[in-house]
Amino acid sequence: VMSARKRVKSSQTPRTSQHSNSYQTNLLAWKLKEDLSNSRSTSKHGQNSPVEDSEQADADEQAEDALQIAVRYFEKGPFKTSRSKDKTLEKHLKTVESVAWKNGLAPEEIDILLNVALSGKFGSAVNSRLLRCMIPATLISEDSVVKAVSWLCVGKCCGSTKVLFYRWLVAMFDFIDHKEKINLLYGFFFASLQDDALCPYVCHFLYLLTKKENVKPFRVRKLLDLQAKMGRQPYLHALLSLYKFFDPTLISVSLPVKKNIYFKNSENLWKTALVAVRQRNQEPSPEPLKLMLGPATVRPRKRKWNSHSLIPVLNSSSHSKEYGKKGMRLSDYLSRNRAFSGEQLKSFPQLLQNIHCLELPSQMGAVLNNSLLLHYINCVRDESLLLRLYHWLSQTLQEECIWYQVNNYECEKEFTNFLDTIIKAECFLQEGFDSCEAFLYKSLPLWDGFCCRSQFLQLVSWFPFSSFSEVKPFIFDRLAQLFFTSTIYFKCSVLENLKELLQNWLLWLSMDIHLKTVTDSSLETTFSGSMQSVFELIHYVGWLSTNALRLESNSTFLLHFVLDFYEKKVCDIYINYNLPLVVLFPPGIFYLALLSLDSSILNQLCYIMHRYRNNLTAAKKNELILKKKSEFIFSSKTYQEYNHYLTAMVGCLWTSKPFQKGSYFDPEVFKMIGVAKYKTSLNLVHHPALLSYAISFLLKEYPEERTVNVSSIRGKKWNEYLDYLFSEGLQGLKLFIRSSIRHSSVP
Amino acid sequence: MSVLRPQDQLPGLNAATILLVGKEDALLQPLADSMLKEDCASTLRVHLAHSLPLPSDVNRPRIDLIVFVVNLHSKYSLQNVEESLRHVDATFFLGKVGFLVTGAGRDSHCSVHRNSVLKLAQAYRSPLLFCDLEVEGFRVTMAQRLVRMLQICAGHVPGISALNLLSLMRSSENPCLEDL
Repeated sequence: VMSARKRVKSSQTPRTSQHSNSYQTNLLAWKLKEDLSNSRSTSKHGQNSPVEDSEQADADEQAEDALQIAVRYFEKGPFKTSRSKDKTLEKHLKTVESVAWKNGLAPEEIDILLNVALSGKFGSAVNSRLLRCMIPATLISEDSVVKAVSWLCVGKCCGSTKVLFYRWLVAMFDFIDHKEKINLLYGFFFASLQDDALCPYVCHFLYLLTKKENVKPFRVRKLLDLQAKMGRQPYLHALLSLYKFFDPTLISVSLPVKKNIYFKNSENLWKTALVAVRQRNQEPSPEPLKLMLGPATVRPRKRKWNSHSLIPVLNSSSHSKEYGKKGMRLSDYLSRNRAFSGEQLKSFPQLLQNIHCLELPSQMGAVLNNSLLLHYINCVRDESLLLRLYHWLSQTLQEECIWYQVNNYECEKEFTNFLDTIIKAECFLQEGFDSCEAFLYKSLPLWDGFCCRSQFLQLVSWFPFSSFSEVKPFIFDRLAQLFFTSTIYFKCSVLENLKELLQNWLLWLSMDIHLKTVTDSSLETTFSGSMQSVFELIHYVGWLSTNALRLESNSTFLLHFVLDFYEKKVCDIYINYNLPLVVLFPPGIFYLALLSLDSSILNQLCYIMHRYRNNLTAAKKNELILKKKSEFIFSSKTYQEYNHYLTAMVGCLWTSKPFQKGSYFDPEVFKMIGVAKYKTSLNLVHHPALLSYAISFLLKEYPEERTVNVSSIRGKKWNEYLDYLFSEGLQGLKLFIRSSIRHSSVP
Repeated sequence: MSVLRPQDQLPGLNAATILLVGKEDALLQPLADSMLKEDCASTLRVHLAHSLPLPSDVNRPRIDLIVFVVNLHSKYSLQNVEESLRHVDATFFLGKVGFLVTGAGRDSHCSVHRNSVLKLAQAYRSPLLFCDLEVEGFRVTMAQRLVRMLQICAGHVPGISALNLLSLMRSSENPCLEDL
């Protein structure tokens, strides 16, 4: 077997020509062979394909004929007589295996061979080999699965075959075209849980299959019994928590909320084959839709999608029927009219018209690339859809994450693209996915902070709103560890993404207030608890920033990012988001900015102080109007702190009386180091960040002057100087001076 | 001089010395090379040792940072580190020791559970870093991070001491990975 597989794999590489495509369709429409072989020969002539290609095609044809013979052989069953039986059987098995691993099998072939495998015509070794190569070319028809399940009842196959069959079902779940009839057999599958050997796999299968209506009290009871009997198995736990999710009232026992992977992916025997199937399903890829609203935006994407991306292409059941158009029956037409498939969906009005009969793709991952379907799963409150999506997402994230696969780090680009798509979908829906949260928990400790940095940090910024102190040890402490030992660029991007995170949380909270759905949130926290969480996040960023500035020797570049966080988000929370919260920056940031050598930093600081002032006065006003003190973060301490900062700033920049209160500096020290006029040395004229402005202001007036005396700027000239500063673009300074300083007090 | 002490020797001028302790030469050597390639104002010295104690008769510079490398794929590796730790003076644990865990990416190959290393690092109050040293990209990033830590531990970053960095790196109470 191994050698056969090897051969298959090696011959897989050149399989990119048009011919293999036509061959595939041929395989699919096996019963319509005549028609298609005609079309194939025409296409061969039409394309003037190179010699190797046609040779390849010939080889394929031969293999195909052999496959048909093999399938017929299996269908008829073993002949008792001949001694060469084993040889023939082996030959045919090898044929099936090689074709299956190379190109996959058509639905009809799977149908036949699946029957053979489960009917017990051959020995269990043959059955298991057959099952292992039940790899679809594109899709598996639901009826084949139902038929196969019916064989399980006859009891002709042994335990190991059953186990393998369930594992196959789990692996191929996404490729089964419909699940309605299979779902009707839910009771049967559920009964199979009693078999100890089958239980884990049946659990996994049920986990994928369960819909809300399947959750019944007697099933819950049975599951709890099983758990009592078998102990806390992760698979039972998974199914129970799914049941609880669908119907929380049915299950009163508390299940520990574990962010865990319940099922082992390493048990997937068909991993490489699945990638190939996904790739195949993608080849006639329609251009992915741009994630935007409205019909005008459905434009083909310019950039070609990477060789093969991890996200499956929209592919619902009607897709497979397209191949055999001739054989389509009236009932097919009728049923097609009822269901509107994802591929047909091209515009928003279409979505609205067909929202009642929309058929979702058989592979949930495909919705990530389709804005309209994202709309759909967002508004139709079907938990099973979301669960399927989340399940698919967590599995793919786990399997493809590059720092889990040491040998496979070449696929970094692919993984990056995948993350990009997820982030795009998250941006589009304006919310994070649960699976990404779990992924972050699990992979952050192993992350090196470099590969996929931008994507990974963006995932952090879409972290769903939660209690900060609860997630801190898992996310933010680990991030801090990376933060302090990484480069300044890493620090800047972390700050940038934490800013995004804060914005997402604030938006979520402000929406929450308007909709009055605080109780609806899964957190079940009180409003003040949520505010506390935001406060802690801001505090955390303040802590990070202060220390980062020390580590990076007060880099101006970094300080820009730090101040940006406060300028864009923190200082305006009260006014912009209507949330009762004002958090000031820590002194370590304030004094650094105030004493900075960079005029744009000083300007930014002035602007932030101005915005803080507006927010605080607005809060105070509301307090007076409503005649009740806001219970949240508006302690008098915040005002005191603000006033303290303000006094320091005005003292330095304007009145030339720096640091009067809580004097930090001993005047004697200044005398000793020879700075006699230390008092004026931080005002608007002498401040190191503004001194160059003062000089060019004077030079503008007296261009001939060789020595200028900046101390001459006072009185009327001071005002002119101010106007000059404002005209140079120091708008923050302007706003600050206009709002915080009474103009009569010109020094 | 069987026990290593941070203050046994005077610091060399502009020199920063790291000691990597671990059995896997095939992993440590490339890591050392990557570190030496880093652009850095201090004069870097990387010493490799299979285990502690170090031979006492050799003249060596002051060691500013010890990093114990644990390979999760080998039980012996953890054992070796645990035994070597006995030969390190307590004052070293004021920020001049780190644990580097390699091989965590491939769960199936692990013969040592991540939690046992986590507990070790917690017991010694020292930071724990994860990196699969076999992958070049990851190794280079880790080398970069180690050089930054080393510079701080050697006192070459003004205003920050090793103990200071340790307090920044040490999260409140690291929960076990099992609870994730």
